[in-house]
Amino acid sequence: MAAIDRPLPVVDDEETGGFFAAAAEHRLVVRTCNSCAATLHLPKSYCHHCGSWDVGWRDVRPTGSVYSWTVLQHSIHEAFPAPCTVVLVQLDEDPAIRFVGYLPGAPELHDGMPVRVRFEDIEPGVTIPQWEPVPEA
Amino acid sequence: MATTDHDHRDRCAVVGIGATEFSKKSGRSVAALVSEASLAAIADAGLTPADIDGVVRSDYDSVTHNDIGHWLGLSGLTFWGITGTGGSAPCGMIGQAVAAILSGQATNVLVYRGLNGRSGLRLGRGSAIQRSGGARHVGGNGTLDEFFLPYGLMAPGQLFAMYARRHMIEYGSTSDDLASIAMTVRKRANANPAAQMAHRTMSLSDYYESRMIADPLRMFDYCLETDGACAVVVTAAERAKDSPHPGVLIRAVTQAAMPEMQGGLVFPALMRPDLLDNPGRRVGKELYRRAGLGPADIDVAQLYDCYTITVLLQLEDYGLCGTGEGGAFASSGAIDIGGTVPINTAGGNLSEGYIHGMNHVVEGVRQMRGQSTSQVPGAQTCLVTSGTPTVTSALILRAA
Ligand SMILES: [Zn+2]
Repeated sequence: MAAIDRPLPVVDDEETGGFFAAAAEHRLVVRTCNSCAATLHLPKSYCHHCGSWDVGWRDVRPTGSVYSWTVLQHSIHEAFPAPCTVVLVQLDEDPAIRFVGYLPGAPELHDGMPVRVRFEDIEPGVTIPQWEPVPEA
Repeated sequence: MATTDHDHRDRCAVVGIGATEFSKKSGRSVAALVSEASLAAIADAGLTPADIDGVVRSDYDSVTHNDIGHWLGLSGLTFWGITGTGGSAPCGMIGQAVAAILSGQATNVLVYRGLNGRSGLRLGRGSAIQRSGGARHVGGNGTLDEFFLPYGLMAPGQLFAMYARRHMIEYGSTSDDLASIAMTVRKRANANPAAQMAHRTMSLSDYYESRMIADPLRMFDYCLETDGACAVVVTAAERAKDSPHPGVLIRAVTQAAMPEMQGGLVFPALMRPDLLDNPGRRVGKELYRRAGLGPADIDVAQLYDCYTITVLLQLEDYGLCGTGEGGAFASSGAIDIGGTVPINTAGGNLSEGYIHGMNHVVEGVRQMRGQSTSQVPGAQTCLVTSGTPTVTSALILRAA
């Protein structure tokens, strides 16, 4: 059940909606130029590398590593009570591609720590990829 | 005579400065605050409102050219400009004034920033979520907020905490380094009767006892929240010779963005490939080129300090120390009075007041006039920087 006042993403924006449509299918995607294969992240429908408007969504491996993080010790929004952690993740597949994730509490984290996507289905049609530490084998 | 392809060098001057009281609750409209600071700056320049034909403001300022024209009775406006984003604006605003003057679009340009930053809209609380007006769905329409706000990333302090963490990871900078910045700047405020923190000293234990907000940033790593305004008047150097304060030349001014731009407001900057490669590096390089000066020529600096970490990063960006050495440099005493490059001599955003970096321009002028409450003896050049990390701007003032 979604918290009443939790901020949810707009999922039908012209430029970013495809990302959330894929997330709803539990796929992690990035905007990609169909002409020159450049990654266009955050998403936009024009490739400034080659001048193409022919863009698509590319599935990427939903694994990465911790690049930075901050632990909020002072609540600023009731949907995210302190302590809670925002983590900045770089993809294994391409470290230049970043995502943020939310972790409740203050879990032990370190630079380069392996993380993987957990798709959080918040309500019908609204899913966001979250990042969680990979349990040690 | 132009000595460079950037021929604005030394061709304009700041002839007037003004500021209101800095408080937690002004009880006044922002227009009233801006008008008071502007009238002070105009009078300081030996001018009257009728002499002002240009105005420049920050995109975050609620007081428009219409408003200030109406309030001050600016009957002869022929130029108005806006730049941003937010705290990255002030030096760029001076740049617009210079551009207007040298292109013949204006003669005397008023540049201002005012806000009720404590009693009104509190930027640090997360303007993005405030902008959304409590709507359940956030983002869209080019804001890119949908990638950040749903994760609880809402306030700029969280973003800068991630910069601080990354710098600690890559270069081993420490909380002690951040504390040294907070404490150094506080000492400058303690000497400045107009500073909000004029009467509150800060020891190392005070710093560590201040509340952790967004780990690793504590309360005393954060700037103040302030009601107040600052303004300056810019005119051509030739014309400045007839003014009461002819001696503060704008040596050079520069704005710069990044090759790896990101859209939106501020959080998308986290998506750039190298978190520690910020536009200040580009501004610094270009600024020194335009000025014909280098970091070693800087006698005193007013570095934008929304957080202690932004100071640390800019010490490196502007070549005042080597890459990765910002923490050790700050802790060495180099930024204190008597050090290589004393910084934020009125107390900065951290301890004087948060006028979104416009107070840094005003204090830079005071240093060049020899009027600072923490005057650096013999200072001839002052570096002034504005906010980061999306885009930024900076300028060098020179005592003629
Ligand atoms: Zn392309």
